[in-house]
Amino acid sequence: MKSRVLVITSGKGGVGKTTTTANLGTALAMMGKKVVLLDTDIGLRNLDVVMGLENRIVFDVVDVVNGNCRLKQALIRDKRFEKLSLLPAAQTKDKTAVSPHQMKNLTNELREDFDYILVDCPAGIEQGFRNAISGADNAIIVATPEVSSVRDADRIIGLLEAAGLNNSQLIINRLRAKMVKCGDMMNIEDIIDILSIDLLGVVPEDESIVVSTNRGEPAVMENYSRAGEAYRRISRRIMGEDIPLNSLEEENSIVNKFKKILRLAK
Amino acid sequence: MNERGFKVIAVLQNLGTEFFIDLTECTTFAEIQAELYKKMESIADPAYVSGLNIVIGKEKISRAELRKIEGIVLDHGFLLNSLTANGPPEQSGSPENDTLYPEQLSQYQETALICRNLRSGQKFYTEGNVVILGDINPGAEVVAGGNILVMGVLRGMVHAGAFGDETVIVAAYRLNPTQLRIANHITRPPEGEEIIVEGPELARIKAGKVIIEKLKI
Repeated sequence: MKSRVLVITSGKGGVGKTTTTANLGTALAMMGKKVVLLDTDIGLRNLDVVMGLENRIVFDVVDVVNGNCRLKQALIRDKRFEKLSLLPAAQTKDKTAVSPHQMKNLTNELREDFDYILVDCPAGIEQGFRNAISGADNAIIVATPEVSSVRDADRIIGLLEAAGLNNSQLIINRLRAKMVKCGDMMNIEDIIDILSIDLLGVVPEDESIVVSTNRGEPAVMENYSRAGEAYRRISRRIMGEDIPLNSLEEENSIVNKFKKILRLAK
Repeated sequence: MNERGFKVIAVLQNLGTEFFIDLTECTTFAEIQAELYKKMESIADPAYVSGLNIVIGKEKISRAELRKIEGIVLDHGFLLNSLTANGPPEQSGSPENDTLYPEQLSQYQETALICRNLRSGQKFYTEGNVVILGDINPGAEVVAGGNILVMGVLRGMVHAGAFGDETVIVAAYRLNPTQLRIANHITRPPEGEEIIVEGPELARIKAGKVIIEKLKI
């Protein structure tokens, strides 16, 4: 199978790029794919924290591109899934420590060993962004149902198109079904209308994400997490399976409630 | 009436000193050009001059010539306020009639065609007309010397008649811009009330004001 480099980006900060990267990577690895997570947020790394692998970092991406160590030395094997690896960002340098050209070479090197290379892009449109997208085949745009987030996503899609990345897909994160129903939040159609790209999935707002992120355990490992369930479905879509979008996750939660009751009955 | 009004933000007026240049002596365009250059150079401090009013003796002046004069004026850091000919004015301002006839539309040589969506941060500039087969999203800008036609949703900022032509129009399949500029009029949709736009609309200047009306063809 040909390996794919996917960059997870958004423009705006705080919409859930890192959480999405961690969860999709974990979900893909759970389904038996060889996955590497590449953190390009040099100077503000936190993918390692979300993955709970912070204390294992010896070398980082800057060490690799500068030749201070071999690629294999810098890769951190995940403690739960052996098919999942992480290449952490450097914390003591800044985004200019790596060039887009070096990043492209790095992703090409990673292609040899992995099925999926998920690149966690920093917020903004400066060099960090250019680094992150330089080796990517496709982009996954993360946006929350807020005007500011959608605006930034639109800008990012424009920049991606200018860089030759045309088939970007959208993940709408932190959707609150109740607020959408009341008309207090942008609905999915409005967002798709403006961005006019394919929808890859919708992740509902879920408090359990906060807990799992703080604990360093991606939500996809949690069976009852609604966000985790959404991420699992998205990762199957990435693998090419035809999984229908459940219109709003509200129905899904009713199903979950039934499941819980049934489980209790047992 | 099926017109809806846009709030006027500003009608740009030049503050500061205006400057008159009399070129009635000149008979050919070449002479006008040469004399204009001389006069420009003689203005000591351009910072104090905000706009130029030029009077020429020639009765007719082509659009290309007008562009050239504008170019010269802009190169020297001035704005062309007015160009008056000592004969009947060639261009009448806004149409006085209530209905818009196609003949009244300004004619421009060039028309650019854009076959994609313009996204936030993208800008398009042309001296002529522009037709967009796609949406203009918030944060995108289209500036044209002539008319602007959007065969999609207009959500961003457009400026038609950027050189001061008040007879131009902005038409869109859905006209819902963040800001709409025609010539030196800058308008925005009224705040607070949400208008649901249901059909193609057209914006133009009527009696010195920007109006929006249903597009009837």
